[in-house]
Amino acid sequence: MSLQGALVISAALFGVGLYGVLSQQSFVMIMMGLELMVNGSLVATAGLWLWAAGGSPKGQVLAIVIMTAMAIEAAMGFALVTTIFRSRKADITEKLRRLKL
Amino acid sequence: MTSSPLLVDIAFWFFGVMSVVTGWLVFRTDSMVRASFFLLASFLNVGVLLLLMRSEYLSLILILMMAGEMAIMAIFMLMFMMNPAGLNPMNMVHQHRAAVAGGIAAFVALAGIGLVARFPDRPARPQPVTEALGKELLGDSMLVFESAGTALLATMVAAIALASSRGRYGSAYEGSDAPPLDPDTRTADAPAEPEPDEHEGHAGMEGMAGMDHGGDGGGDGGEGMAGMDHSGMDHRGMDHGRGS
Amino acid sequence: MSVTPAWAAVAGVAGAVGAGVYIAAVADRAVGATVAGERGRAGRALGGPFRAAALWLVQGRATTERPDARAWALAPALYLGLAAVAVSVVPLTRNVTAVDVDAGLVLFGAAQALAVIPVFPNGWSSNSMLPLIGAFRFIAEALSYEMPNLLALLSVSVPASSLALGDIVTSQHHLWNVVRIPLGLPLFLFAGAGLAFWGPVDLPDGADLGGGTQAETSGAHLLAWTTGRLAMLFAISAMGAAAFLGGWLGPVLPGAAWMIVKTVALLVVLVSSRHLVARVRPERYVVISWAVLIPLALVNVIVAAAVSL
Repeated sequence: MSLQGALVISAALFGVGLYGVLSQQSFVMIMMGLELMVNGSLVATAGLWLWAAGGSPKGQVLAIVIMTAMAIEAAMGFALVTTIFRSRKADITEKLRRLKL
Repeated sequence: MTSSPLLVDIAFWFFGVMSVVTGWLVFRTDSMVRASFFLLASFLNVGVLLLLMRSEYLSLILILMMAGEMAIMAIFMLMFMMNPAGLNPMNMVHQHRAAVAGGIAAFVALAGIGLVARFPDRPARPQPVTEALGKELLGDSMLVFESAGTALLATMVAAIALASSRGRYGSAYEGSDAPPLDPDTRTADAPAEPEPDEHEGHAGMEGMAGMDHGGDGGGDGGEGMAGMDHSGMDHRGMDHGRGS
Repeated sequence: MSVTPAWAAVAGVAGAVGAGVYIAAVADRAVGATVAGERGRAGRALGGPFRAAALWLVQGRATTERPDARAWALAPALYLGLAAVAVSVVPLTRNVTAVDVDAGLVLFGAAQALAVIPVFPNGWSSNSMLPLIGAFRFIAEALSYEMPNLLALLSVSVPASSLALGDIVTSQHHLWNVVRIPLGLPLFLFAGAGLAFWGPVDLPDGADLGGGTQAETSGAHLLAWTTGRLAMLFAISAMGAAAFLGGWLGPVLPGAAWMIVKTVALLVVLVSSRHLVARVRPERYVVISWAVLIPLALVNVIVAAAVSL
């Protein structure tokens, strides 16, 4: 249990999430990948807070900001998925080749 | 570095590795339901990691938040997936090799930074974390906290504006179809018949895809959609890989 | 605060959950028989749970075509485990809490929010239609009760200015929260009934779905599932007693006795709602939750903040 360990785990989470974002076709699965990436950054933040920042509460505030970003990403992502599905019946990325309506 | 008891060490690596493995299984499993449950398992493991790293409040909030989000994902599966029950296998990936390379490259680069870079060695003292966080949020960092709250409020407004069924283009149900249960058909409502007139820009690409998927205009009894150019949004030609 | 040994905490929680489940099962039978006007059956309620458990244990387990067997078997165990986690943070007396954490209220909320995790697979993994409908119904129900539930819980932490349950009980020394924050307890109990899908809000396991998520379960599995639901009801009433009814506070009797009396009273109220209140329709439940209960819960938090100024 060390800072390096936390950073390696966070990098692995980020890498797995990036793989998912790049490889998946379904919008919902892409959002799962994004969640995993944000999750990785959360682990790194907590590790740096504990071992490199002297436990300053500002580090925890940063983690809360990251969680806010996670919530915003999920909410806006699902709203966009709903809108796109309603207007174009598209549930996978391949159906969205044109920006124009 | 602070020394930690062996048991804590083992727990740290166990939950760390489990969070990555379950995260990887999200994309390897063949059912959306299992994928979302693996995602939640990954989050729970990260929650335990945060607990071990003495961020109790963050860990509990993460678990609380993610349980709700998992539920929402299940609802979205029901809405969007062709197989909402999700026990049947399916695999929908593209650019697989590039994605694997990208993931590995990101891992190597970030882990390399983590292992090579020299970070200040300032371990946290034992202290009541949650209380300090509360004081910080309503004290020095109040602006950050309030900004996060405002951003969330803006998100709520924007998400409702986007997803509301009474949007600016009229009712969303006007011209919308049930998603197909069979991946070869366009929608559940539309009968499999060719559409007589093609719209601009589609002509060269139609081929069999147009035959398979039928016309939404036909499915709606041929009525024009007032206030919403429905047929113009119909991208039958985009279903590559099926018709062609 | 002395540190309780782990085995004592586990044994205490297990004993409390076991006793709570038994009391809930007896109360369910007694109230049901009384409402139906069958005095004789009400008299036999004390042994009823044992007879039912024995019957389920000797029954064979039916299965379906190609279920997800592991998820199916795990679901009741997880639900029971969540109930046990929820019980473990509730203090029995000033000095006796199985798991004494600073943010006990948040841990309780997290355990409740995770209830979707067992209930959904219980319906989904049997690979059958009615249980699947029940599973998706529970998700709609869970999204509806979560916000009022958490806001109702939050309101008790405002006067105590703490998330620790010990402080929350101590803050009710002069006035119980049920009087100080009058909307809190009804909101919490209604949301809690949704959590254990019991009584008027038994949408996922309702009779209109032929048993819903448990339509295909039988034998020991059904016993475990029923136990989990009753344990969750017990956790809700224990939390309600601690957060709204002043926990161990009370005259004459020792603290533990007061806590038990209050918990059992709430448990009987919750259990008998199944026999006394009509079921709501799913879509109406969702509308009530989002359009009525969430605003009420927000008002409740504001009231709590106003009275604790």
